[in-house]
Amino acid sequence: MSSENDSEMDCSDSDCGDPGYEDYYNIQPWGGEVDNDVDPEQNRRDPEYAVCDCLRVEEVERLLNESVEVLSNSLHITPSLAKVLLHAHNWALQDIVTKYRSNASSLLINSKIKPTLEQVPGSKSQKGGLCSVCVTISPADRFSTLTCGHSFCKDCWCMHFEVQITQGISTSISCMAQDCDVLAPEDFVLSLLAKPNMRERYQQFAFCDYVKSHPQLRFCPGPNCQIVLRSKEQRAKRVMCSSCKTIFCFRCGMDYHAPTDCNTIKKWLTKCADDSETANYISAHTKDCPKCHICIEKNGGCNHMQCYNCKHDFCWMCLGDWKAHGSEYYECSRYKENPNIAHESVHAQAREALKKYLHYYERWENHSKSLKLEEQTLEGIKMRINNKVMNASGTWIDWQHLFEAASLLARCRYTLQYTYPYAYYMESSPRKELFEYQQAQLEAEIENLSWKIERAETTDRGDLENQMDIAEKRRVTLLKDFLEV
Amino acid sequence: MANIAAQRIKREFKEVIKSEEIAKCAIKVELVNDSLTELKGEIAGPPDTPYEGGNFVLEIKVPETYPFNPPKVRFITKIWHPNISSVTGAICLDILKDQWQAAAMTLRTVLLSLQALLSAAEPDDPQDAVVAKQYKEHPEMFRQTATHWTFVYAGGPAKMPDLDDKIRRLTDMGIEEHNARVALSSYNWDLERATEHCLFS
Repeated sequence: MSSENDSEMDCSDSDCGDPGYEDYYNIQPWGGEVDNDVDPEQNRRDPEYAVCDCLRVEEVERLLNESVEVLSNSLHITPSLAKVLLHAHNWALQDIVTKYRSNASSLLINSKIKPTLEQVPGSKSQKGGLCSVCVTISPADRFSTLTCGHSFCKDCWCMHFEVQITQGISTSISCMAQDCDVLAPEDFVLSLLAKPNMRERYQQFAFCDYVKSHPQLRFCPGPNCQIVLRSKEQRAKRVMCSSCKTIFCFRCGMDYHAPTDCNTIKKWLTKCADDSETANYISAHTKDCPKCHICIEKNGGCNHMQCYNCKHDFCWMCLGDWKAHGSEYYECSRYKENPNIAHESVHAQAREALKKYLHYYERWENHSKSLKLEEQTLEGIKMRINNKVMNASGTWIDWQHLFEAASLLARCRYTLQYTYPYAYYMESSPRKELFEYQQAQLEAEIENLSWKIERAETTDRGDLENQMDIAEKRRVTLLKDFLEV
Repeated sequence: MANIAAQRIKREFKEVIKSEEIAKCAIKVELVNDSLTELKGEIAGPPDTPYEGGNFVLEIKVPETYPFNPPKVRFITKIWHPNISSVTGAICLDILKDQWQAAAMTLRTVLLSLQALLSAAEPDDPQDAVVAKQYKEHPEMFRQTATHWTFVYAGGPAKMPDLDDKIRRLTDMGIEEHNARVALSSYNWDLERATEHCLFS
């Protein structure tokens, strides 16, 4: 049996080594169906396109179980241990088998299935005795132990599991002994856990952990959506949940963000959400009183300031004592030479940084708002079509292209919105100039398209469709040149 | 209280009473009520630290799920330490959080770990950011402040006359003594800034 398995593995190993074969047969370890709806033409044209399946929970369980079965059969281990191994190695089945063949012991130690070598295994108290957790004496059949040999009574194990599960921990529950990180596999936990609701929660949490550790799977981020998406590409591509229609980035699970990459968009969104920009505003528009250091915003008036807090009189320009100014009201430019210039330049820098950020943020926000109005735009189009049909100028079908135009407009605006964080984080370079040129072109074509959709009654359909084509070409060109996934 | 928890606490209580550390007056534990859900701990400030000679009282609350969850411990005695809140006495220590191990840890090991924490602070994992910043940027200032707090609140031996003078300057202005001490400690004993802080915020 084992030799048969060996040859099977060797065979698939050599397959993996030859990309030609692999491509041709497209063999998948878990025998998933080959996607038939791949349109190679579209794939080539659209840099955002990714092959992706939407799976229900049962289908995901089947998929995971297939991996578990393959591994447990080929290594002759329990499915429960196979799960621990797969979870620890991000479901890289082939990788686990190779490691097992080369050094099984080190694999099992690294995966926290077996205790480390230097660890002295606890005495296997087969005769029963004192449980060190509850300090109660129990007969031997009331004790259980993991591979590390640390023996505790079953009630304590059960309580330990319940406390951990209550905290949302499942696959990472470990032994209770000091410095022992041997993991409790699923079958061990379930054999000791009695309460049905605890068993159920454990299984739910474990399932979540498995999906999260699987590089090809991702939970749909849509609210209350149970769908798991599977893509073999594992890249930052645009995917849509077939059930709740949520569109997101497969790699990071956030709203889809091309041409910006996952890390950059995270940085940008954090920047927009946190109050770092408030701090920047304060820095740019306020100064601290030179005496009591309270923060002052100047909202008009002359440069002679009196601090409302400590009543100190000073000059807003140079922050020097007002008494020294005498009658030289507006001639304190000479004070620019004083040590405060360093202080000033910090303000100037903050002001410059704020200006730059606001430039990109306003545009980002603007397109985001326009997109939110899309619902209204669609309603408007529907009304206008109704009117047309009622007035016998064309049929419902004659005006369908308006919907296509509106959806294309939304898609273009969406990409345009996400070009702003990209540009914000770009260093000044000829490449940035090219990017901003293309961005401006796309922006212009989108405005043209928007204008033509508004006035679709008077422009002819050919003209509108021509404009749609131009806008989409601009969008795809920009993505092709700058999207790196 | 759950049976397991009560059984464990009784045993651990005895363990502390019998331990050699109690003979050396390094750690102590007392019952607060009969239910064993709350205890009073005490640790001596370790030698060669700013806490030397001080006695620090701890509140220990035993949860229903003990020993599967750690006891809830905080300092009653005010203390100046990066990992202990100077306001609430809350402690940042891994074994009192996710590194708690049911079979390995007891009241005795918790008290000894806290004593070890006083000897070796972890400023990169702070509970009190102000203290941690001082610990890293002005270590000598930190040492003096912690010694002063030990003297005032934990019965430590070292009086710091310079620091007392500064506090008196503030109390003379009508500022409450503890508030004055906190402000001065937080502003690295800069009298002017501490005064501003007390008067204007």
